[in-house]
Amino acid sequence: MNPTVSARIASRAPHNAVAGPIVYRLFATFVALALVAGCTIRLIGDYDDTIDQGVTDIQQRTELYFAKLRSDPLTPYDSSFYDDISARLAVLKTRAAALTQYKIIGQQLGNMKDQFDNLRVLDKSSARPVPPGLVDAADNAITVSVESILKLELALKRGDKPASN
Amino acid sequence: MAIDVQSLTQQMVQAAVPILKQGAQDAESFAQTEFTKIAQTIASVGEQVAMGQINQDQAKLLLNMQTSASRNVLLTLQGLALLMVESAINAALGVVKGTVNTALGFALL
Repeated sequence: MNPTVSARIASRAPHNAVAGPIVYRLFATFVALALVAGCTIRLIGDYDDTIDQGVTDIQQRTELYFAKLRSDPLTPYDSSFYDDISARLAVLKTRAAALTQYKIIGQQLGNMKDQFDNLRVLDKSSARPVPPGLVDAADNAITVSVESILKLELALKRGDKPASN
Repeated sequence: MAIDVQSLTQQMVQAAVPILKQGAQDAESFAQTEFTKIAQTIASVGEQVAMGQINQDQAKLLLNMQTSASRNVLLTLQGLALLMVESAINAALGVVKGTVNTALGFALL
């Protein structure tokens, strides 16, 4: 370093050593107060009853379809079931996209749609009688997704405390 | 009345940490339950292929469904983590609010 520059810095050192921490404390206090003035923060959206009920409804319809396949493995492929589920998921995804800070649940609904797309292909291409293990595996995958979405959705109730701004 | 930074820091930590610990336990319990189901199903799919009950194409579609399920579990964990952090921050900020108002002698915040 240039000796002239270092000398200038050294001459200011005692002043900076005292003023630095004070300035820092004042700044930190100001930031803290500014933050606190906004009261509570929200990092993720709020509970939505429509999505809660919608996902539960999809599970109910799916379980009914699986029950038919289990009780009668010769049950033919039913495209109307998949069309219905696809439409319901599309509506829920649209709603999630419109809600504030709902990206995660929107992605989960997208993953559920992928599951039903796979299930549709599987069901359509599978010869009858449908193996019970196939139904069980598909059922488990859907159930895990439903449980995941509902787990998060219910957690968003936050003890029913509304955000204050 | 001056604000005791060290004391305030300690209060904020004591408000936030229990929330983080409880949230982590809850998330772990959920993850354990759901990933166990997925693992068992993947094993079952393998057995079904081995026994000739389903073919490889069917197995692939079933495994794709399990993968999507796993993604949803991870997304829930991500969401729960956000909720946990949010709650911890708000608890810590709540402590700051109370302390500042007490120190100043009136309800500034």
